[in-house]
Amino acid sequence: MTDAPHDLLSPPKVRRSPVKSILLHAVLIVCSFGMLYPILWMISGSFRPQEELFGSSSLIPSALDLGGYVRGWSGLQVTFGRFFWNSLVISVLATIGNVVGCSLAAFAFSRLRFAGRNFWFALMLGTLMLPYHVVLIPQYILFLHLGWVNSPLPLIVPKYLATDAFFIFLMVQFFRGIPKELDEAAVMDGCSPFRIYWKIMLPLSMPVLATAAIFSFIWTWDDFFGPLIYLSDINTYTVQLGLRSFVDSTGSSDWTALFAMSNLSLIPVFLFFLFFQRLLIEGIATTGMKR
Amino acid sequence: MASQTETMHRGSRTAALRGQSAFRRMLDRNAAGYVFLLPWLLGFFGLTLGPALASLYLSFTNYDLLQSPDWVGAANYVRILTDDPKFGAAMRVTFTYVILSVPLKLAFALAVAMAFNRGIKGLTLYRAIFYLPSLLGSSVAIAVLWRQLFASDGLINMALWQAFGFEGPSWISNPDYALYTLVLLSIWQFGSPMIIFLAGLRQIPKDMYEAAEMDGAGKARQFFRITLPLLTPVIFFNSVIQTIEAFKAFTPAFIISEGTGGPINSTLFYTLYLYQEAFGFFRMGYASALAWILVVIISLFTAFSFLGARYWVHYDD
Repeated sequence: MTDAPHDLLSPPKVRRSPVKSILLHAVLIVCSFGMLYPILWMISGSFRPQEELFGSSSLIPSALDLGGYVRGWSGLQVTFGRFFWNSLVISVLATIGNVVGCSLAAFAFSRLRFAGRNFWFALMLGTLMLPYHVVLIPQYILFLHLGWVNSPLPLIVPKYLATDAFFIFLMVQFFRGIPKELDEAAVMDGCSPFRIYWKIMLPLSMPVLATAAIFSFIWTWDDFFGPLIYLSDINTYTVQLGLRSFVDSTGSSDWTALFAMSNLSLIPVFLFFLFFQRLLIEGIATTGMKR
Repeated sequence: MASQTETMHRGSRTAALRGQSAFRRMLDRNAAGYVFLLPWLLGFFGLTLGPALASLYLSFTNYDLLQSPDWVGAANYVRILTDDPKFGAAMRVTFTYVILSVPLKLAFALAVAMAFNRGIKGLTLYRAIFYLPSLLGSSVAIAVLWRQLFASDGLINMALWQAFGFEGPSWISNPDYALYTLVLLSIWQFGSPMIIFLAGLRQIPKDMYEAAEMDGAGKARQFFRITLPLLTPVIFFNSVIQTIEAFKAFTPAFIISEGTGGPINSTLFYTLYLYQEAFGFFRMGYASALAWILVVIISLFTAFSFLGARYWVHYDD
């Protein structure tokens, strides 16, 4: 039985008697179903005829009805298409910003030697612990004076300034693991620091860059607090804000449509989960991420 | 001879050049370092340090965004700590939430991780399924779902009616229950601490269990004598991270109560109260004071955790 040394998470398989094995899997399948039941319920609920939802707790709708999606999509004065577009623009630009901003800083901290480096590094670690709430109000005032409130800029620009210290830390850890001989050789050959960053570090750091990018995207997509504060014109709303307005406007009168739009809002995150599940789970296992 | 002086001459020139280039290289190196660090430095001063100092200053003022800040000394802090029933409510709600949700979530996470650590076929799939709620959980969509599940005509009541003929209340609009629905939501998302536990369990050398088995130690004894002590660093890490996150919880309470923190302040999380003061009433000074009190609470908690950790966290060195 081989036990891959790099696999942090999968213990070697154990042989069990068939009865024990079947029992174990039966329990696990029931538990998995229980874990997912609320989500499955929401998916099936979104396809039900409006009046049927509260008839039964069964997962199979009596008829497939797309009415919820139709009513939900244009349930507010602006369609959800607009909200999806806004969310997509913000998430993509914020993700690029995080990767660029944080990798530049991480490169300086891990590879360049300059006066004051340890001092700045200690300060950067200090910001990891600082709750967002202490900078919230002055940042709001700053963006208000810049005329950025009611635009996506406050949700995008700070990412380019590497304000998410967590990702810097993540990348510093990874960069330190790349053999120093590589860039020393490059320096001998007259490579500039920028070329080393661009031609050596970044290509060798794809796993950590991908992890940072995926988590950045998901966190920005899911973010509710930032958009709630900065965006008040419905044309600038993200999906999360759109959903919240939809809740407030329909209350509990049209769950089918609410579920339909909720499901749509989860699709991007779910796709990342589907395609990059291993990267996500290893990212959490190796860095201790909170979500 | 001539060639010798020439080489000497050339040698001193290269030495001089080397000295000059060493100095230049040092300058270049510093310059390069700061060029790469520039975005972060701008962010640090402009968006972190500056704002943090500004909010400390604002916390001693009354400020409504329209008139310039009005210095009031410690009045905001005094009022928060002695004469603010909503602050009291927010503290009660937040602490109840933290104290209930964190240990239960970690207990589930550990139990499932241990079940998964016994060499199961298809582990990757099960693990992914149990992790999914944790990934999706902080979105508005899941909060919407929770509203429906625990509404008077929601899934939970429907199931209770079908199974026991019991007519349940509207859980989210009853001040006795609303907070507990949010605790449940948090426990359901035990996926990421579970994955961290799983990684921790994998680090425990297998021969320790084999040796214990030889010595006749039962499963329970192995758990308390090997697994638990060796896992304490991971338990400690998970509990600090999850507690800090729980103190900062916002979205589910906001969606379930439509931003009010109701019914009767029963879901008034600390951050929700802060949000209301800042962006509902535009009491920016007061809200800044609330933010700094949150920082003090979180810092005290973290400091005590690290002090206490000496007595129960087992480090392998």
